[in-house]
Amino acid sequence: MLEIRIHGRGGQGVVTLAELVAKTALKSGWEVQTMPFFGVERRGAAVKAAVRLDSRPIRARSLSYRPDMLVLMHENLLDTGIKDGISDDAEIVANASRPLPFNKIQWLVDASAIAIKNNLVSSGEPFINVAMSGAVCRALEIPFSHLEKTISEQWDGKKALANIEAAREAYEAVRRIEGGLCK
Amino acid sequence: MKKILDTGNAACALAVKAARVDFVAAYPITPQTSVVEKLAGYIAEGKMNAKYLPVESEHSAMSAVAAAAAAGARVFTATSSQGLLYMHEILHYAAGGRLSLVMANVNRAVCAPWCLYVDHQDAVSQRDTGWIQLFAASTQEIYDSIILAYKVTEKIHIPVIVNYDGFLLSHSMMPFETVDQDIIDEFLPPFEPAWRLHPQWGGTFGNVTPAENYAPFRHSLAADIRKAGEVIEKIAREFEKLTGHWHGGLFDAYRTEDAEFFLLSMGSMASEMELAVDILRDKGIPAASIRLRVFRPFPAEELSRLLPDGARLLVFDRNYAFGTEGGVLLAESKAALFNRKDDIKVVGRAVGLGGEDLPADFLAEKAREMMEVLK
Repeated sequence: MLEIRIHGRGGQGVVTLAELVAKTALKSGWEVQTMPFFGVERRGAAVKAAVRLDSRPIRARSLSYRPDMLVLMHENLLDTGIKDGISDDAEIVANASRPLPFNKIQWLVDASAIAIKNNLVSSGEPFINVAMSGAVCRALEIPFSHLEKTISEQWDGKKALANIEAAREAYEAVRRIEGGLCK
Repeated sequence: MKKILDTGNAACALAVKAARVDFVAAYPITPQTSVVEKLAGYIAEGKMNAKYLPVESEHSAMSAVAAAAAAGARVFTATSSQGLLYMHEILHYAAGGRLSLVMANVNRAVCAPWCLYVDHQDAVSQRDTGWIQLFAASTQEIYDSIILAYKVTEKIHIPVIVNYDGFLLSHSMMPFETVDQDIIDEFLPPFEPAWRLHPQWGGTFGNVTPAENYAPFRHSLAADIRKAGEVIEKIAREFEKLTGHWHGGLFDAYRTEDAEFFLLSMGSMASEMELAVDILRDKGIPAASIRLRVFRPFPAEELSRLLPDGARLLVFDRNYAFGTEGGVLLAESKAALFNRKDDIKVVGRAVGLGGEDLPADFLAEKAREMMEVLK
Protein backbone atom coordinates (compact mmCIF):
# COMPACT_ATOMS: atom_id res chain seq x y z
CA MET A 1 0.00 0.00 0.00
CA LEU A 2 1.10 3.53 -0.79
CA GLU A 3 -0.10 6.28 1.52
CA ILE A 4 -0.07 9.96 0.60
CA ARG A 5 -0.73 12.64 3.22
CA ILE A 6 -1.61 16.15 2.12
CA HIS A 7 -1.15 19.16 4.42
CA GLY A 8 -2.66 22.54 3.70
CA ARG A 9 -4.88 25.23 5.12
CA GLY A 10 -8.67 25.48 5.11
CA GLY A 11 -9.72 26.99 1.76
CA GLN A 12 -6.77 25.62 -0.25
CA GLY A 13 -8.77 22.66 -1.57
CA VAL A 14 -6.96 19.84 0.21
CA VAL A 15 -9.99 17.51 0.10
CA THR A 16 -10.49 18.20 -3.63
CA LEU A 17 -6.80 17.54 -4.28
CA ALA A 18 -7.15 14.15 -2.53
CA GLU A 19 -10.21 13.45 -4.68
CA LEU A 20 -8.43 14.37 -7.94
CA VAL A 21 -5.43 12.18 -7.13
CA ALA A 22 -7.65 9.24 -6.07
CA LYS A 23 -9.89 9.47 -9.14
CA THR A 24 -6.87 9.61 -11.42
CA ALA A 25 -5.15 6.69 -9.68
CA LEU A 26 -8.39 4.66 -9.99
CA LYS A 27 -8.26 5.24 -13.77
CA SER A 28 -4.70 3.95 -13.70
CA GLY A 29 -5.74 0.63 -12.18
CA TRP A 30 -5.18 1.25 -8.46
CA GLU A 31 -7.58 0.46 -5.66
CA VAL A 32 -8.01 3.80 -3.88
CA GLN A 33 -9.40 5.52 -0.81
CA THR A 34 -9.47 9.11 0.41
CA MET A 35 -9.50 9.75 4.13
CA PRO A 36 -10.03 13.39 5.06
CA PHE A 37 -9.10 14.47 8.58
CA PHE A 38 -11.85 16.79 9.73
CA GLY A 39 -10.78 19.14 12.45
CA VAL A 40 -12.08 22.61 12.94
CA GLU A 41 -13.38 23.57 9.51
CA ARG A 42 -12.46 27.16 8.85
CA ARG A 43 -10.41 29.17 6.42
CA GLY A 44 -6.73 29.31 7.31
CA ALA A 45 -6.68 26.48 9.87
CA ALA A 46 -4.14 23.69 9.22
CA VAL A 47 -5.97 20.77 7.54
CA LYS A 48 -4.93 17.41 6.11
CA ALA A 49 -6.24 14.54 4.03
CA ALA A 50 -4.86 11.17 3.03
CA VAL A 51 -5.04 9.09 -0.15
CA ARG A 52 -4.36 5.36 -0.07
CA LEU A 53 -3.40 3.38 -3.18
CA ASP A 54 -3.10 -0.38 -3.30
CA SER A 55 -3.22 -3.29 -5.69
CA ARG A 56 -6.02 -4.94 -3.63
CA PRO A 57 -9.19 -3.61 -1.99
CA ILE A 58 -8.33 -1.32 0.92
CA ARG A 59 -9.49 -2.45 4.36
CA ALA A 60 -7.89 0.34 6.42
CA ARG A 61 -10.41 2.70 8.04
CA SER A 62 -8.03 4.81 10.10
CA LEU A 63 -6.08 8.01 9.60
CA SER A 64 -2.63 8.19 8.03
CA TYR A 65 0.31 7.90 10.45
CA ARG A 66 3.25 6.71 8.34
CA PRO A 67 2.77 8.12 4.83
CA ASP A 68 5.07 7.22 1.95
CA MET A 69 4.53 10.59 0.33
CA LEU A 70 3.97 13.98 1.93
CA VAL A 71 2.26 16.75 -0.04
CA LEU A 72 2.74 20.29 1.21
CA MET A 73 0.56 23.14 -0.04
CA HIS A 74 2.91 25.79 1.39
CA GLU A 75 6.26 26.13 3.15
CA ASN A 76 4.57 27.98 6.02
CA LEU A 77 3.13 24.65 7.18
CA LEU A 78 6.53 23.38 8.30
CA ASP A 79 5.83 24.09 11.98
CA THR A 80 2.38 22.41 12.09
CA GLY A 81 3.48 18.84 12.84
CA ILE A 82 3.59 17.75 9.21
CA LYS A 83 6.67 15.60 9.79
CA ASP A 84 4.90 13.27 12.26
CA GLY A 85 5.50 9.69 11.18
CA ILE A 86 7.51 10.71 8.12
CA SER A 87 10.44 8.36 7.48
CA ASP A 88 13.58 9.58 5.69
CA ASP A 89 12.52 7.58 2.63
CA ALA A 90 9.19 9.38 2.20
CA GLU A 91 9.05 11.55 -0.89
CA ILE A 92 7.97 15.17 -0.53
CA VAL A 93 5.87 17.06 -3.08
CA ALA A 94 5.77 20.74 -2.22
CA ASN A 95 4.52 24.05 -3.47
CA ALA A 96 7.91 25.65 -2.89
CA SER A 97 10.62 27.34 -4.92
CA ARG A 98 13.60 26.14 -2.86
CA PRO A 99 14.47 22.78 -1.28
CA LEU A 100 12.99 22.00 2.15
CA PRO A 101 15.29 21.27 5.06
CA PHE A 102 14.41 17.57 5.37
CA ASN A 103 14.21 14.33 3.36
CA LYS A 104 16.20 13.36 0.33
CA ILE A 105 13.70 13.11 -2.47
CA GLN A 106 11.69 16.25 -3.12
CA TRP A 107 9.40 17.27 -5.96
CA LEU A 108 9.23 21.07 -6.04
CA VAL A 109 6.85 23.24 -8.03
CA ASP A 110 5.75 26.88 -7.80
CA ALA A 111 2.04 26.01 -7.87
CA SER A 112 1.00 29.48 -6.71
CA ALA A 113 2.66 31.13 -9.75
CA ILE A 114 1.09 28.57 -12.10
CA ALA A 115 -2.38 29.16 -10.60
CA ILE A 116 -2.02 32.95 -10.91
CA LYS A 117 -0.77 32.65 -14.49
CA ASN A 118 -3.89 30.63 -15.37
CA ASN A 119 -6.18 33.08 -13.60
CA LEU A 120 -7.22 30.52 -10.98
CA VAL A 121 -7.60 33.15 -8.28
CA SER A 122 -10.42 34.09 -5.94
CA SER A 123 -10.42 36.96 -3.41
CA GLY A 124 -6.71 37.43 -4.10
CA GLU A 125 -5.83 33.79 -3.22
CA PRO A 126 -4.57 31.41 -5.90
CA PHE A 127 -6.28 28.00 -6.22
CA ILE A 128 -3.21 25.78 -6.08
CA ASN A 129 -4.82 22.38 -5.60
CA VAL A 130 -5.23 21.51 -9.29
CA ALA A 131 -1.64 22.52 -10.08
CA MET A 132 -0.55 20.37 -7.15
CA SER A 133 -2.50 17.42 -8.58
CA GLY A 134 -0.26 17.68 -11.67
CA ALA A 135 2.87 17.53 -9.52
CA VAL A 136 1.58 14.60 -7.43
CA CYS A 137 0.53 12.57 -10.49
CA ARG A 138 3.95 13.14 -12.01
CA ALA A 139 5.64 11.94 -8.80
CA LEU A 140 3.38 8.85 -8.85
CA GLU A 141 4.26 8.21 -12.52
CA ILE A 142 0.61 8.41 -13.53
CA PRO A 143 0.14 9.43 -17.19
CA PHE A 144 -1.09 13.02 -17.57
CA SER A 145 -3.91 11.92 -19.90
CA HIS A 146 -5.62 10.21 -16.92
CA LEU A 147 -5.47 13.41 -14.86
CA GLU A 148 -6.75 15.42 -17.81
CA LYS A 149 -9.76 13.10 -18.00
CA THR A 150 -10.43 13.44 -14.26
CA ILE A 151 -10.35 17.25 -14.45
CA SER A 152 -12.60 17.37 -17.50
CA GLU A 153 -15.12 15.20 -15.61
CA GLN A 154 -14.89 17.45 -12.54
CA TRP A 155 -15.46 20.83 -14.23
CA ASP A 156 -17.17 22.12 -17.37
CA GLY A 157 -16.01 24.22 -20.30
CA LYS A 158 -13.63 27.13 -19.72
CA LYS A 159 -13.08 26.24 -16.08
CA ALA A 160 -11.95 22.75 -17.06
CA LEU A 161 -9.58 24.14 -19.70
CA ALA A 162 -7.86 26.55 -17.29
CA ASN A 163 -7.50 23.78 -14.70
CA ILE A 164 -6.12 21.30 -17.23
CA GLU A 165 -3.60 23.92 -18.33
CA ALA A 166 -2.49 24.56 -14.74
CA ALA A 167 -2.20 20.82 -14.03
CA ARG A 168 -0.23 20.26 -17.24
CA GLU A 169 2.19 23.11 -16.47
CA ALA A 170 2.82 21.74 -12.98
CA TYR A 171 3.16 18.16 -14.32
CA GLU A 172 5.86 19.38 -16.70
CA ALA A 173 7.53 21.98 -14.45
CA VAL A 174 7.87 19.97 -11.25
CA ARG A 175 11.57 19.38 -10.43
CA ARG A 176 12.77 16.21 -8.75
CA ILE A 177 15.72 16.91 -6.50
CA GLU A 178 17.65 14.27 -4.63
CA GLY A 179 19.92 15.08 -1.70
CA GLY A 180 19.91 18.75 -2.63
CA LEU A 181 20.82 18.17 -6.29
CA CYS A 182 18.47 19.18 -9.07
CA LYS A 183 17.72 16.39 -11.53
CA MET B 1 -23.10 -1.75 -13.37
CA LYS B 2 -20.91 1.30 -13.10
CA LYS B 3 -17.90 1.72 -10.82
CA ILE B 4 -17.56 5.16 -9.28
CA LEU B 5 -15.45 6.80 -6.61
CA ASP B 6 -17.43 8.81 -4.10
CA THR B 7 -18.27 9.21 -0.43
CA GLY B 8 -20.45 6.98 1.72
CA ASN B 9 -23.08 9.70 1.87
CA ALA B 10 -23.11 9.89 -1.94
CA ALA B 11 -23.47 6.09 -2.15
CA CYS B 12 -26.39 6.28 0.28
CA ALA B 13 -28.17 8.99 -1.72
CA LEU B 14 -27.65 7.11 -5.00
CA ALA B 15 -29.15 3.96 -3.48
CA VAL B 16 -32.18 5.89 -2.20
CA LYS B 17 -32.69 7.33 -5.69
CA ALA B 18 -32.30 3.88 -7.27
CA ALA B 19 -34.87 2.45 -4.82
CA ARG B 20 -37.43 4.88 -6.31
CA VAL B 21 -38.33 6.41 -2.97
CA ASP B 22 -41.55 8.50 -3.07
CA PHE B 23 -41.06 10.71 -0.04
CA VAL B 24 -38.15 12.18 1.93
CA ALA B 25 -38.38 14.30 5.07
CA ALA B 26 -35.21 15.26 6.89
CA TYR B 27 -33.38 17.75 9.02
CA PRO B 28 -29.66 18.27 8.36
CA ILE B 29 -27.04 17.36 10.96
CA THR B 30 -23.28 16.69 10.73
CA PRO B 31 -22.12 14.21 9.37
CA GLN B 32 -25.41 13.19 7.68
CA THR B 33 -25.95 16.54 5.88
CA SER B 34 -24.67 15.72 2.40
CA VAL B 35 -27.06 12.73 2.08
CA VAL B 36 -30.14 14.92 2.33
CA GLU B 37 -28.51 17.73 0.34
CA LYS B 38 -27.96 15.32 -2.53
CA LEU B 39 -31.50 13.95 -2.31
CA ALA B 40 -32.97 17.48 -2.25
CA GLY B 41 -30.84 18.19 -5.33
CA TYR B 42 -32.00 15.07 -7.23
CA ILE B 43 -35.64 15.94 -6.50
CA ALA B 44 -35.24 19.63 -7.43
CA GLU B 45 -33.53 18.68 -10.72
CA GLY B 46 -36.24 16.17 -11.56
CA LYS B 47 -33.80 13.22 -11.41
CA MET B 48 -35.88 11.63 -8.69
CA ASN B 49 -39.67 11.54 -8.72
CA ALA B 50 -40.32 12.18 -5.03
CA LYS B 51 -41.58 14.79 -2.62
CA TYR B 52 -39.06 16.41 -0.29
CA LEU B 53 -40.44 17.87 2.91
CA PRO B 54 -38.04 20.17 4.75
CA VAL B 55 -39.00 20.07 8.43
CA GLU B 56 -37.94 21.99 11.52
CA SER B 57 -36.70 19.01 13.55
CA GLU B 58 -35.91 15.31 13.53
CA HIS B 59 -39.00 14.61 15.60
CA SER B 60 -41.05 16.06 12.75
CA ALA B 61 -38.93 14.29 10.11
CA MET B 62 -39.68 10.90 11.66
CA SER B 63 -43.35 11.82 12.19
CA ALA B 64 -43.67 12.83 8.54
CA VAL B 65 -42.04 9.72 7.08
CA ALA B 66 -44.00 7.47 9.44
CA ALA B 67 -47.25 9.09 8.32
CA ALA B 68 -46.29 8.87 4.65
CA ALA B 69 -45.34 5.19 5.11
CA ALA B 70 -48.75 4.57 6.72
CA ALA B 71 -50.31 6.07 3.59
CA GLY B 72 -48.36 3.57 1.45
CA ALA B 73 -45.42 5.65 0.25
CA ARG B 74 -41.85 4.32 0.03
CA VAL B 75 -40.06 6.71 2.38
CA PHE B 76 -36.58 7.68 3.54
CA THR B 77 -34.93 9.84 6.14
CA ALA B 78 -31.42 10.16 7.52
CA THR B 79 -29.91 11.52 10.69
CA SER B 80 -27.07 11.30 13.22
CA SER B 81 -26.44 11.51 16.95
CA GLN B 82 -28.72 14.05 18.70
CA GLY B 83 -31.06 13.93 15.70
CA LEU B 84 -31.63 10.22 16.21
CA LEU B 85 -32.12 10.76 19.94
CA TYR B 86 -34.71 13.42 19.19
CA MET B 87 -36.62 10.93 16.99
CA HIS B 88 -36.69 8.33 19.75
CA GLU B 89 -40.36 8.69 20.67
CA ILE B 90 -41.53 8.27 17.07
CA LEU B 91 -39.17 5.33 16.49
CA HIS B 92 -41.38 3.36 18.87
CA TYR B 93 -44.48 4.52 16.99
CA ALA B 94 -43.05 3.46 13.62
CA ALA B 95 -42.07 -0.02 14.79
CA GLY B 96 -45.23 -0.55 16.85
CA GLY B 97 -47.29 0.60 13.86
CA ARG B 98 -45.52 -2.07 11.76
CA LEU B 99 -44.55 0.55 9.18
CA SER B 100 -42.18 -0.13 6.30
CA LEU B 101 -39.51 2.51 6.61
CA VAL B 102 -35.79 2.91 5.94
CA MET B 103 -33.51 5.38 7.68
CA ALA B 104 -29.76 5.96 7.40
CA ASN B 105 -28.02 6.81 10.66
CA VAL B 106 -24.56 8.24 10.15
CA ASN B 107 -23.06 7.23 13.48
CA ARG B 108 -21.80 10.03 15.68
CA ALA B 109 -21.08 10.40 19.39
CA VAL B 110 -23.80 11.92 21.57
CA CYS B 111 -23.59 14.98 23.84
CA ALA B 112 -22.19 15.84 26.35
CA PRO B 113 -19.43 16.75 25.81
CA TRP B 114 -20.32 17.94 22.33
CA CYS B 115 -18.54 15.87 19.68
CA LEU B 116 -18.86 15.54 15.90
CA TYR B 117 -17.03 12.26 15.41
CA VAL B 118 -17.96 8.62 15.26
CA ASP B 119 -19.10 6.21 17.89
CA HIS B 120 -22.15 3.96 18.17
CA GLN B 121 -23.85 5.41 21.25
CA ASP B 122 -26.59 6.96 19.08
CA ALA B 123 -27.53 3.62 17.49
CA VAL B 124 -27.27 1.39 20.54
CA SER B 125 -29.44 3.86 22.49
CA GLN B 126 -32.29 2.87 20.08
CA ARG B 127 -31.76 -0.83 20.75
CA ASP B 128 -35.20 -1.49 22.23
CA THR B 129 -37.35 0.59 19.88
CA GLY B 130 -38.27 -2.42 17.73
CA TRP B 131 -36.24 -1.40 14.67
CA ILE B 132 -33.92 -3.68 12.71
CA GLN B 133 -30.39 -2.26 12.70
CA LEU B 134 -27.72 -3.01 10.11
CA PHE B 135 -24.09 -1.82 10.22
CA ALA B 136 -22.03 -1.25 7.05
CA ALA B 137 -18.24 -1.20 6.78
CA SER B 138 -17.67 0.11 3.23
CA THR B 139 -19.20 2.47 0.67
CA GLN B 140 -20.35 -0.53 -1.38
CA GLU B 141 -22.03 -2.03 1.64
CA ILE B 142 -23.85 1.24 2.38
CA TYR B 143 -25.23 1.29 -1.16
CA ASP B 144 -26.26 -2.37 -1.12
CA SER B 145 -27.66 -2.25 2.44
CA ILE B 146 -30.05 0.61 1.65
CA ILE B 147 -31.56 -1.35 -1.24
CA LEU B 148 -31.67 -4.56 0.79
CA ALA B 149 -33.31 -2.68 3.69
CA TYR B 150 -36.30 -1.71 1.52
CA LYS B 151 -36.84 -5.32 0.49
CA VAL B 152 -36.66 -6.43 4.13
CA THR B 153 -38.92 -3.73 5.59
CA GLU B 154 -41.57 -4.19 2.92
CA LYS B 155 -41.60 -7.95 3.44
CA ILE B 156 -41.88 -8.05 7.22
CA HIS B 157 -43.30 -4.61 8.10
CA ILE B 158 -40.56 -3.67 10.55
CA PRO B 159 -38.57 -0.46 10.01
CA VAL B 160 -34.82 -0.64 9.32
CA ILE B 161 -31.89 1.60 10.28
CA VAL B 162 -28.79 1.35 8.08
CA ASN B 163 -25.89 2.54 10.24
CA TYR B 164 -22.54 3.73 8.93
CA ASP B 165 -19.71 5.54 10.67
CA GLY B 166 -19.50 9.31 10.51
CA PHE B 167 -16.56 10.69 8.48
CA LEU B 168 -14.67 7.37 8.26
CA LEU B 169 -17.38 6.06 5.91
CA SER B 170 -19.64 9.08 5.27
CA HIS B 171 -16.88 11.40 4.03
CA SER B 172 -14.14 9.00 2.97
CA MET B 173 -14.17 8.12 -0.75
CA MET B 174 -14.01 4.50 -1.85
CA PRO B 175 -14.90 2.89 -5.17
CA PHE B 176 -18.30 1.23 -5.41
CA GLU B 177 -20.37 -0.32 -8.14
CA THR B 178 -23.88 0.97 -8.72
CA VAL B 179 -26.49 -1.57 -9.83
CA ASP B 180 -28.37 -1.11 -13.11
CA GLN B 181 -31.85 0.31 -12.64
CA ASP B 182 -33.62 -2.64 -14.31
CA ILE B 183 -31.98 -5.06 -11.85
CA ILE B 184 -33.03 -2.91 -8.89
CA ASP B 185 -36.55 -2.64 -10.27
CA GLU B 186 -36.71 -6.43 -10.53
CA PHE B 187 -35.39 -6.85 -6.99
CA LEU B 188 -37.56 -4.10 -5.57
CA PRO B 189 -40.97 -3.88 -7.28
CA PRO B 190 -43.32 -0.98 -6.36
CA PHE B 191 -44.39 -0.98 -2.71
CA GLU B 192 -47.84 -2.47 -2.15
CA PRO B 193 -48.62 -2.38 1.57
CA ALA B 194 -51.23 -4.74 3.02
CA TRP B 195 -53.02 -1.79 4.62
CA ARG B 196 -52.73 1.94 4.07
CA LEU B 197 -54.32 5.09 5.40
CA HIS B 198 -56.85 6.28 2.87
CA PRO B 199 -59.82 8.69 3.08
CA GLN B 200 -62.11 6.03 1.58
CA TRP B 201 -61.03 3.40 4.07
CA GLY B 202 -61.22 5.48 7.23
CA GLY B 203 -59.09 3.25 9.48
CA THR B 204 -56.34 4.26 11.89
CA PHE B 205 -52.91 3.04 12.92
CA GLY B 206 -51.89 2.81 16.57
CA ASN B 207 -55.22 3.65 18.18
CA VAL B 208 -55.84 3.45 21.94
CA THR B 209 -55.91 -0.21 23.02
CA PRO B 210 -56.53 -2.10 26.23
CA ALA B 211 -54.05 -4.76 27.32
CA GLU B 212 -55.91 -7.60 25.59
CA ASN B 213 -55.22 -5.94 22.23
CA TYR B 214 -51.94 -4.25 23.12
CA ALA B 215 -50.08 -7.28 24.46
CA PRO B 216 -50.58 -9.51 21.37
CA PHE B 217 -49.27 -6.68 19.15
CA ARG B 218 -46.10 -6.40 21.22
CA HIS B 219 -45.61 -10.18 21.44
CA SER B 220 -45.95 -10.54 17.68
CA LEU B 221 -43.53 -7.65 17.04
CA ALA B 222 -41.00 -9.32 19.35
CA ALA B 223 -41.43 -12.70 17.64
CA ASP B 224 -41.20 -11.22 14.12
CA ILE B 225 -37.99 -9.31 14.89
CA ARG B 226 -36.45 -12.53 16.20
CA LYS B 227 -37.23 -14.17 12.85
CA ALA B 228 -35.92 -11.22 10.81
CA GLY B 229 -32.33 -12.48 10.76
CA GLU B 230 -33.28 -15.39 8.56
CA VAL B 231 -35.18 -13.06 6.20
CA ILE B 232 -32.22 -10.66 5.95
CA GLU B 233 -29.84 -13.49 5.10
CA LYS B 234 -32.18 -14.90 2.44
CA ILE B 235 -32.69 -11.49 0.83
CA ALA B 236 -28.93 -10.83 0.88
CA ARG B 237 -28.47 -14.11 -1.06
CA GLU B 238 -31.12 -13.05 -3.55
CA PHE B 239 -29.34 -9.70 -4.03
CA GLU B 240 -26.05 -11.53 -4.50
CA LYS B 241 -27.55 -13.67 -7.27
CA LEU B 242 -28.61 -10.55 -9.16
CA THR B 243 -25.54 -8.39 -8.56
CA GLY B 244 -22.64 -10.52 -7.33
CA HIS B 245 -22.40 -8.25 -4.27
CA TRP B 246 -21.95 -10.11 -1.00
CA HIS B 247 -20.85 -8.74 2.37
CA GLY B 248 -21.63 -11.73 4.58
CA GLY B 249 -24.91 -12.83 6.14
CA LEU B 250 -25.50 -11.76 9.74
CA PHE B 251 -21.73 -11.83 10.27
CA ASP B 252 -18.73 -11.40 8.04
CA ALA B 253 -16.03 -13.70 9.40
CA TYR B 254 -12.29 -13.50 8.61
CA ARG B 255 -9.54 -16.13 9.16
CA THR B 256 -11.68 -18.27 11.46
CA GLU B 257 -9.85 -21.49 10.48
CA ASP B 258 -8.11 -22.94 13.59
CA ALA B 259 -8.80 -19.69 15.42
CA GLU B 260 -8.85 -19.51 19.20
CA PHE B 261 -9.36 -15.76 19.70
CA PHE B 262 -12.37 -14.15 17.99
CA LEU B 263 -12.40 -10.34 17.75
CA LEU B 264 -16.00 -9.13 17.56
CA SER B 265 -16.86 -5.60 16.38
CA MET B 266 -19.08 -3.68 13.97
CA GLY B 267 -18.87 -0.76 11.54
CA SER B 268 -15.67 0.61 10.01
CA MET B 269 -13.59 -0.67 12.96
CA ALA B 270 -14.42 -4.23 11.87
CA SER B 271 -12.79 -3.67 8.46
CA GLU B 272 -9.58 -2.40 10.07
CA MET B 273 -9.87 -5.37 12.48
CA GLU B 274 -8.92 -7.72 9.62
CA LEU B 275 -5.55 -5.94 9.44
CA ALA B 276 -5.22 -6.34 13.22
CA VAL B 277 -5.90 -10.07 12.81
CA ASP B 278 -3.14 -10.23 10.18
CA ILE B 279 -0.73 -8.59 12.66
CA LEU B 280 -1.68 -11.11 15.37
CA ARG B 281 -1.47 -14.08 12.99
CA ASP B 282 2.02 -12.94 11.90
CA LYS B 283 3.02 -13.23 15.57
CA GLY B 284 1.64 -16.77 15.70
CA ILE B 285 -1.56 -15.88 17.58
CA PRO B 286 -4.59 -17.76 16.17
CA ALA B 287 -6.93 -14.76 15.86
CA ALA B 288 -10.04 -14.19 13.73
CA SER B 289 -12.37 -11.25 13.12
CA ILE B 290 -16.14 -11.46 13.38
CA ARG B 291 -17.87 -8.43 11.93
CA LEU B 292 -21.44 -8.05 13.15
CA ARG B 293 -23.59 -6.79 10.25
CA VAL B 294 -26.96 -7.15 11.96
CA PHE B 295 -27.11 -5.61 15.43
CA ARG B 296 -30.88 -5.95 15.71
CA PRO B 297 -32.06 -8.72 15.82
CA PHE B 298 -28.92 -9.78 17.68
CA PRO B 299 -27.84 -13.08 16.05
CA ALA B 300 -27.20 -14.93 19.31
CA GLU B 301 -27.49 -18.49 17.99
CA GLU B 302 -25.36 -17.75 14.93
CA LEU B 303 -22.69 -16.19 17.15
CA SER B 304 -22.60 -19.29 19.30
CA ARG B 305 -22.37 -21.49 16.22
CA LEU B 306 -19.36 -19.53 14.94
CA LEU B 307 -17.42 -20.08 18.16
CA PRO B 308 -15.83 -23.51 18.71
CA ASP B 309 -15.50 -25.17 22.13
CA GLY B 310 -13.25 -23.19 24.45
CA ALA B 311 -13.15 -20.15 22.16
CA ARG B 312 -12.00 -16.78 23.52
CA LEU B 313 -14.29 -13.94 22.43
CA LEU B 314 -12.80 -10.42 22.54
CA VAL B 315 -15.52 -7.79 22.19
CA PHE B 316 -14.72 -4.29 20.90
CA ASP B 317 -17.58 -1.91 21.68
CA ARG B 318 -17.74 1.62 20.29
CA ASN B 319 -20.33 2.49 22.95
CA TYR B 320 -21.16 2.01 26.61
CA ALA B 321 -24.03 0.18 28.25
CA PHE B 322 -23.72 2.38 31.33
CA GLY B 323 -24.08 0.57 34.61
CA THR B 324 -22.75 -2.69 33.16
CA GLU B 325 -19.10 -3.73 32.88
CA GLY B 326 -18.72 -2.39 29.32
CA GLY B 327 -20.51 -1.91 26.03
CA VAL B 328 -23.73 -3.30 24.58
CA LEU B 329 -22.09 -5.99 22.43
CA LEU B 330 -20.29 -7.37 25.48
CA ALA B 331 -23.55 -7.74 27.41
CA GLU B 332 -25.35 -9.21 24.39
CA SER B 333 -22.54 -11.67 23.68
CA LYS B 334 -22.44 -12.90 27.25
CA ALA B 335 -26.20 -13.41 27.23
CA ALA B 336 -25.96 -15.23 23.90
CA LEU B 337 -23.34 -17.66 25.26
CA PHE B 338 -24.80 -18.14 28.74
CA ASN B 339 -26.04 -21.66 28.06
CA ARG B 340 -22.73 -22.94 26.69
CA LYS B 341 -21.35 -25.88 28.68
CA ASP B 342 -17.72 -25.57 27.45
CA ASP B 343 -15.17 -23.19 28.98
CA ILE B 344 -15.76 -20.41 26.43
CA LYS B 345 -14.64 -17.02 27.78
CA VAL B 346 -15.71 -13.47 26.92
CA VAL B 347 -13.98 -10.16 27.63
CA GLY B 348 -14.61 -6.67 26.27
CA ARG B 349 -13.36 -3.10 25.97
CA ALA B 350 -14.98 0.17 24.93
CA VAL B 351 -12.76 1.82 22.30
CA GLY B 352 -13.02 4.46 19.61
CA LEU B 353 -15.37 6.74 21.52
CA GLY B 354 -15.91 10.21 20.04
CA GLY B 355 -13.85 9.34 16.99
CA GLU B 356 -10.76 8.02 18.81
CA ASP B 357 -8.85 6.65 15.84
CA LEU B 358 -8.47 2.86 15.66
CA PRO B 359 -5.49 1.86 13.49
CA ALA B 360 -4.75 -1.87 13.21
CA ASP B 361 -1.68 -1.84 15.49
CA PHE B 362 -3.76 -0.20 18.25
CA LEU B 363 -6.52 -2.80 17.86
CA ALA B 364 -3.97 -5.64 17.91
CA GLU B 365 -2.47 -4.20 21.11
CA LYS B 366 -5.94 -3.96 22.72
CA ALA B 367 -6.58 -7.57 21.73
CA ARG B 368 -3.35 -8.66 23.42
CA GLU B 369 -4.34 -6.80 26.59
CA MET B 370 -7.65 -8.66 26.61
CA MET B 371 -5.89 -11.98 26.05
CA GLU B 372 -3.79 -11.26 29.16
CA VAL B 373 -6.97 -10.71 31.19
CA LEU B 374 -8.26 -14.12 30.08
CA LYS B 375 -5.08 -15.96 31.08
